[in-house]
Amino acid sequence: MRHHRLPFYIFTLLLLPSISLAEFPTAPATEETFLGLVEPFCPETVDPTWRKQQLIEDVSIAPSPVCNPDNPYNIAAFVKGTNNVSMATMMQTQLSPDTLIKTNDIDGDGDPDEIHIRLEVIELNGFSPDIKEPITTYDIAPGIQPGFWAFAPKSRGMSNESFASTKANPLLRLPSPSIRVEQDDKIIVTLENSHYFPHSIHFHGVDHPFQKENGEGNDGVPQTSNKLTLPGKVFSYELTPRQTGTMVYHCHVQAHTHILMGLIGMFIVEENKPNNWVQTFNIGAGAVRHSSVAVKQDYSQEYDLQYQDIDRELHNLIQQGNDSRLLAKSYNREYNITERAPEYFILNGRSFPYTLRESMVVIKPDEKIKLRVFNAGEQQVALHTHGFKPTATHFDGVKLNPEARIQRDVFTLGPAQRIDLELYAKNDGLNNMGPGIWTFHDHNEAGVTTDGIYPGGHISSVVFESFLGPNGMPKLQGIDVSPFFTKEFYQKKYPIWNLSDENRHYGEITKTAEQKVEETEQDSSDMTQIAILVLQLTLLVATILIFRKNSAKSNA
Amino acid sequence: MHNKKLTKSISTGSLVALGISITSLYADVNAAADDAFETKELSQKQSQQQPDKKIMEGKCGEGRCGGNMQLDMKGMVMYENKDTLPKDCTEISEDITIEVKAGVEHAKPYPGTVFGFDKHQWQAKPCSRITVEFTNDDDIRHQWMIHGLPKYLYPEGMFHIEVNGKGKKTGTFIVPSSHFTYLVHCDIAQHVEKGMKAQLKVGNGRGDLPSIPGISAPKFADRFPKK
Repeated sequence: MRHHRLPFYIFTLLLLPSISLAEFPTAPATEETFLGLVEPFCPETVDPTWRKQQLIEDVSIAPSPVCNPDNPYNIAAFVKGTNNVSMATMMQTQLSPDTLIKTNDIDGDGDPDEIHIRLEVIELNGFSPDIKEPITTYDIAPGIQPGFWAFAPKSRGMSNESFASTKANPLLRLPSPSIRVEQDDKIIVTLENSHYFPHSIHFHGVDHPFQKENGEGNDGVPQTSNKLTLPGKVFSYELTPRQTGTMVYHCHVQAHTHILMGLIGMFIVEENKPNNWVQTFNIGAGAVRHSSVAVKQDYSQEYDLQYQDIDRELHNLIQQGNDSRLLAKSYNREYNITERAPEYFILNGRSFPYTLRESMVVIKPDEKIKLRVFNAGEQQVALHTHGFKPTATHFDGVKLNPEARIQRDVFTLGPAQRIDLELYAKNDGLNNMGPGIWTFHDHNEAGVTTDGIYPGGHISSVVFESFLGPNGMPKLQGIDVSPFFTKEFYQKKYPIWNLSDENRHYGEITKTAEQKVEETEQDSSDMTQIAILVLQLTLLVATILIFRKNSAKSNA
Repeated sequence: MHNKKLTKSISTGSLVALGISITSLYADVNAAADDAFETKELSQKQSQQQPDKKIMEGKCGEGRCGGNMQLDMKGMVMYENKDTLPKDCTEISEDITIEVKAGVEHAKPYPGTVFGFDKHQWQAKPCSRITVEFTNDDDIRHQWMIHGLPKYLYPEGMFHIEVNGKGKKTGTFIVPSSHFTYLVHCDIAQHVEKGMKAQLKVGNGRGDLPSIPGISAPKFADRFPKK
């Protein structure tokens, strides 16, 4: 019997699709999608006078024509020391009087040789038990706020911009600031642990002794040299670096997570020269507005470029709760770095398009610029510059023999590696291909995305001055960039090419009624709302019961 | 799915009014109070056109300045006011002194916090003059910062003592006549969240602020592992 039935079943099954196809199928219509709120290319809060070349406290500060330049008063204090500037200048900064003490011209060459640097540890986009959103916020791109830890020059007053705002004050940001010192100077770096976890500082590649003169550890490694610097405590490291170069400093406590959370920055030792007042901090890396004597001899400008990649899973742990015991467990027992997969890629603390506000390299024809490139992330960076073939002059801070200098258009940096590059705007088809807006980016293509959305990541540009418009906006001639300045674009809600796509070949497909219902239900499944509803129900039942009881009593 | 529909139908049903009243509990008490002060004080200031001469409103960069600030290596006292009465006070009702200690050791009684004050609540009469003796037992900075004061007297509505490492600083301010609960905290990133939060109740106060160690529950609580 079975033999006879099987073909019948198969025939019926085959028939099914043809039945469903009997109704002529049509593709759904295209839905019109509207852009969200477009942020201006350059926020109005930026003080345009900060971009100009200026002299503050006798410190010459180079122009910085990008949208969001560094505060020049900070730079004056970073060159002279917070002990050598006026109260009026201090009031234009948020620095503590002891942030940076510069004294004692030991070698009598006209600059201070004993430098006391104080660093605090701050948390950005952390948890608040009072508000639903993160606190002390720092956006790497529109609407994107991963949690971070960073070193910051010791400041005074509030970490938030004001009581009315949860934005971080401008000294608190990523990356941890570049620190510059002069060769042979006596450097004392004091870690003031203002964070709720233990931390330390390790001077990577910087000439420093394993022990201080008093025998205390000086390498910042808990397993081998140093006790933990616990919350509320301070520890001073001492070094007199004999060798120059682009080096690194980072936390070495639970290094596999603390470094990636942001506790890493450049530590640059400048050549010892007479009257060499170096800019000790470079907030947010980027353009150095007061370069050292030696750099000025060879270059007209200098930029610090720090690359980092971010695994959202790690960075968002601080946004999941407040209890220090739960946090210690989630960071050190639950997070597994071997399963790491980064979603965000930042250059000097920002992703595209915010990189264009701060980290563009602005150049003139025939100018020679020094770029200190540092990969502070976990992934490799394959840096490619359009329109140029830069020349490597130093690897990991060590000067290359001139014969061994390498000129190419992709430089690869593994984690913690540094390359000093010479960017020469000589229009000869090799060094440079002429003026323009020349993008520079990681050629590991994940690096040019933000959570998989292109363009994002650490894309930036070398812009010739002739291509720079007002407020540091490059004279772009490609597609309309407004979508990149909306949260919706990176939330994947805005279709690709929508502004160029008049015929709507690539628009959003109209949702069915069912899909829409599903979406609204997803939105309403907020835990707080459900809790409120449960509370409402309980209260209602209680009210009814009390009412009934009372009315029963009064009836009796 | 079924539950979702159920809750939805309830919310759109007869409980809407009740829902509104409960949801309003979630509004930030502080922000609301501060706004109230701001609008009131601003309109007063505008009508006067003559701000109090004691207040210097200097041009500020990203730093906080204007008003009086005593800044030195040991810390700062900002917007101190020993003798200008708030407009709604005819005289100082009483002089009180608050002694506060700050540091990681004071967090120990409150599991899961790291930074702490030794006291988290103070009481004062309306129009009283309050002197704060703030002791820092840590080697880093800590602050005793109060918000919501009238902005015509205290720039940004705040009075602030910061002690730079181990030591003590003293400052004085005068509260207005309204019954109110003022937020006190340390505004260094994560210090308030990790325990440095307190309140000053003037008169009857206006309820408790959330997330104060030993006093009130957090609005957004931690999810602890179940046994």
